[in-house]
Amino acid sequence: MKGLHVVGVSHAFGNNRVLDKIGMMIPAGDLVCLLGPSGCGKTTLLRLATGLEKLQSGSIVVDDVIVAGEGTHVAPEHRRIGLMFQDYALFPHLSVTENVAFGLTGAAKAGERVMEMLDQVGMTAHAAKYPHMLSGGQQQRVALARALAPKPKLLLLDEPFSGLDTNMRGQIREQTLGVLKRSGVATLMVTHDPEEAMFMADRIKIMGDNGRILQAGRPHEIYYHPKHELVANMFGLMNRIEGVVEKGRVETPLGAVRAAGLEDGLRVQVLIRPEGVVLETNGGEGGTPVEVLSTHLLGHDNIVRARIVGGGPEFYVRVHHAFEPELRHRIEARIDPEYAFVFPLGGDSHAGRPAWPDPPALETTAAE
Amino acid sequence: MTNEAATAGISSPLTPGAKKDLWSWVNVWSIGTVVIAVAVMVPIVAVIFIGLTPGDDIWSHLASTVLPLYISTTLQLMIGVGAGTLVIGVGTAWLVSTCRFPGRRIFEWALLLPMAMPAYVIAYVYTDILEYAGPVQGLLRDMFGWTIKRDYWFPEIRSLGGAVSMMTLVLYPYVYLLSRAAFMEQSVCVLEASRVLGRGPWRSFFSVALPLARPAIVIGVSLVLMETLNDFGTVDFFAVSTFTLGIYDVWLNMNNVAGAAQLAGLLLFFVVFLVVAERFARRKQRFHHTTSKYKALPGYQLEGGAKRLATIGCTLPVVFGFVLPALVLGSYAVIHFEAAANAEVYRYAGNSFLLSSLTAFLAVVIGIFMAYGVRLRNEKIVKFMARFASLGYAVPGSVLAVGVLVSLGALDNGIDGFMRQNFGISTGLLFSGTIAAVTFGYLVRFLALSFGSVEASLAKITPSMDGASRSLGHGPFSTLRRIHIPLIRGSALTAAMLVFVDCMKELPMTMILRPFNFHTLATYVHQYASDEQLGEASLAALAIVVFGILPVIVLSFAITKSRPGQAGEGRAP
Repeated sequence: MKGLHVVGVSHAFGNNRVLDKIGMMIPAGDLVCLLGPSGCGKTTLLRLATGLEKLQSGSIVVDDVIVAGEGTHVAPEHRRIGLMFQDYALFPHLSVTENVAFGLTGAAKAGERVMEMLDQVGMTAHAAKYPHMLSGGQQQRVALARALAPKPKLLLLDEPFSGLDTNMRGQIREQTLGVLKRSGVATLMVTHDPEEAMFMADRIKIMGDNGRILQAGRPHEIYYHPKHELVANMFGLMNRIEGVVEKGRVETPLGAVRAAGLEDGLRVQVLIRPEGVVLETNGGEGGTPVEVLSTHLLGHDNIVRARIVGGGPEFYVRVHHAFEPELRHRIEARIDPEYAFVFPLGGDSHAGRPAWPDPPALETTAAE
Repeated sequence: MTNEAATAGISSPLTPGAKKDLWSWVNVWSIGTVVIAVAVMVPIVAVIFIGLTPGDDIWSHLASTVLPLYISTTLQLMIGVGAGTLVIGVGTAWLVSTCRFPGRRIFEWALLLPMAMPAYVIAYVYTDILEYAGPVQGLLRDMFGWTIKRDYWFPEIRSLGGAVSMMTLVLYPYVYLLSRAAFMEQSVCVLEASRVLGRGPWRSFFSVALPLARPAIVIGVSLVLMETLNDFGTVDFFAVSTFTLGIYDVWLNMNNVAGAAQLAGLLLFFVVFLVVAERFARRKQRFHHTTSKYKALPGYQLEGGAKRLATIGCTLPVVFGFVLPALVLGSYAVIHFEAAANAEVYRYAGNSFLLSSLTAFLAVVIGIFMAYGVRLRNEKIVKFMARFASLGYAVPGSVLAVGVLVSLGALDNGIDGFMRQNFGISTGLLFSGTIAAVTFGYLVRFLALSFGSVEASLAKITPSMDGASRSLGHGPFSTLRRIHIPLIRGSALTAAMLVFVDCMKELPMTMILRPFNFHTLATYVHQYASDEQLGEASLAALAIVVFGILPVIVLSFAITKSRPGQAGEGRAP
């Protein structure tokens, strides 16, 4: 198979285990995002793949060739794996052109390839400049061009957008994705920004603090079917209600949610995304009456802070910006089961089961 | 990153790797670093070894006669020079970094000038001026009508006190430099907090600024004391019986290398104490930055008497430590030009230049190799060896020279014996008493200079540079050549210059290790000055001083650059 194949890689610094039997497969042309909290070993995996760190156990295969495994350690310079650093690591004493040409051999071909790469990232006009004369976004593009110039078998990106300010990030992200897809290289990108991972990735792997992969799948799967409370919690604001499983479901003040596969009597938490709470202003399908405490405009969306009438937990609701409930206006709320997930309390195991949408099971208990 | 694996190519089969892991640190870089480190350590280890081996009766003889004198003289010298440099160095540093008075900008760099003067040169000059037959006493006699020595009292320059004064005058810049940097780094907010809390400038100085700068001051004073222990020219000229002088005495006059080595071993104890103090202070220094808010230093505007006192206080060390002796040497050089500018001097200058350039070149190449080796292979053993190898700077030249002498002698005898046994050829002494021995001695002592500055400058290059270059297909050598060397070129050149100048000035090791009848400028000056013929040696002495000014220029540039509010290089992304 063309691309990257990681088999059972474990790694520890002293007693601190940062990678625990990690496996993954990235075919050429695919972009996989490794998503996880800072310091969870994501970058270590990149360093192992490039050979900057020595593999302790498992094996790493690139284009069907073992580059690291027991007894084998191909030096980084012989692996033909591109790596783009978080700080870009542009050579300060070399011009943009010289930076991009650094990995190329053969002067005549190199010149052509450099111009081709600079053209792709839109940096032709800055070819003669030195890194310190470039903006952060421009440096990022040069670093990308430099990494791709030698036509690597695999490209690794370490937090490629973290150094950019928010305004630029979106634009650069799109451009980078375009360049990567055109090059057809297998790409592994490391990030701690879930939104970024959702935008870029064909598939996402989510890593926990323990160095294990918590869940892997397409962005859609990760978002709608989290298998772990940490995964569910990654994408920002989350409403959390505790309850007990009874007859395969959990009662919440906003309605019952199905808890498939969990024993009766188990204490659980129900996690509901802000968009998983539906507000009704004209008493349509019947929900729990709630009062709006405040609204916060986020741009396209509004976040509404609300509370069940007569006391109870506060919760957040994401609504379209045109929807502007008057403060303290009486409205009703219910749960959209697609965005509600049930996990056992106390355990951080994989035992959690998503509350699969199960329309007949959903009951809205109209509170008084 | 074993070489075998790298060259074994991409599809090497899976093999059990246990054996390889054990030896995984073995490659050209780590082996090279360890070999260099061992070579550099041999002389020091040899001294310790012989020092611990009971030899002839020399030891008990020394202990019952001169040893107590050596110890007490050395201690007095250290205390005197330590106290003198502490007061002058910290005082002037505080004045120029926090007060405003006429000439401050000039004093900032001028206070470094005495560094260019080797202690022995200044000693010859002052002896020439201040001795009985010199111009000062002559003038006094004329003025007051005294005729003979008994008519008046005049301090004897060739004494312990004289030696303390000479060394203080030229060594205080170490303390000045380090404590000035420490004062500059201190956040003015801390000082202002102290003022607001009701403490005046003086009490703020003693209760806040000084304690904060203490680690830097300790480092400065330990460096001064290492130099004090290293000095040979001054104490020899003044006949002050320190350890260093004792080592020469036992070696040259009693012709007893083992005894010299035993004395040298004892001297090492003083050094160990200094090294520990210095390292301890360096470690502590890291925790002394309490705030990251920096603001230009207050600059107390001095008025009236205080202003004048500050200017005078900063002028005196510069005048007596540099200007006056330089003028005297210059005038002697002009007066005695015919006698001073002879063919011999040019030849000796050539010797000095050649030896110093060779050592500087080797020291920088080896320093880069070792520092890069440590960076590449972050192994404890490699790191430790490199650290140990850079201890040479702390060991007095006389001790190192004895160590080099002993170990090269053993090597020569070994080679000779081997060749005679196997080939019937006697090679005699191959290295002892050659230029190679002198160069080796210089390297052992000055390698730390180049290694230290190369390492510090490599540390400023982010490791992702290495990673980027490696992942783009360049091996360690190519990466070093194309990335690191261009980036550290400036400090590597500075390091080469520092080593060069130190070699030009070096006296104690050259005296012991040089080939028969071989002179450098330093040994030539010492010989003539000892024979009271400073006039003839003035040109050579002046040449040493002129070269000595080079590092001062570099340091003053560094000072101007490091002034708060002035941006650094600004080239890093």
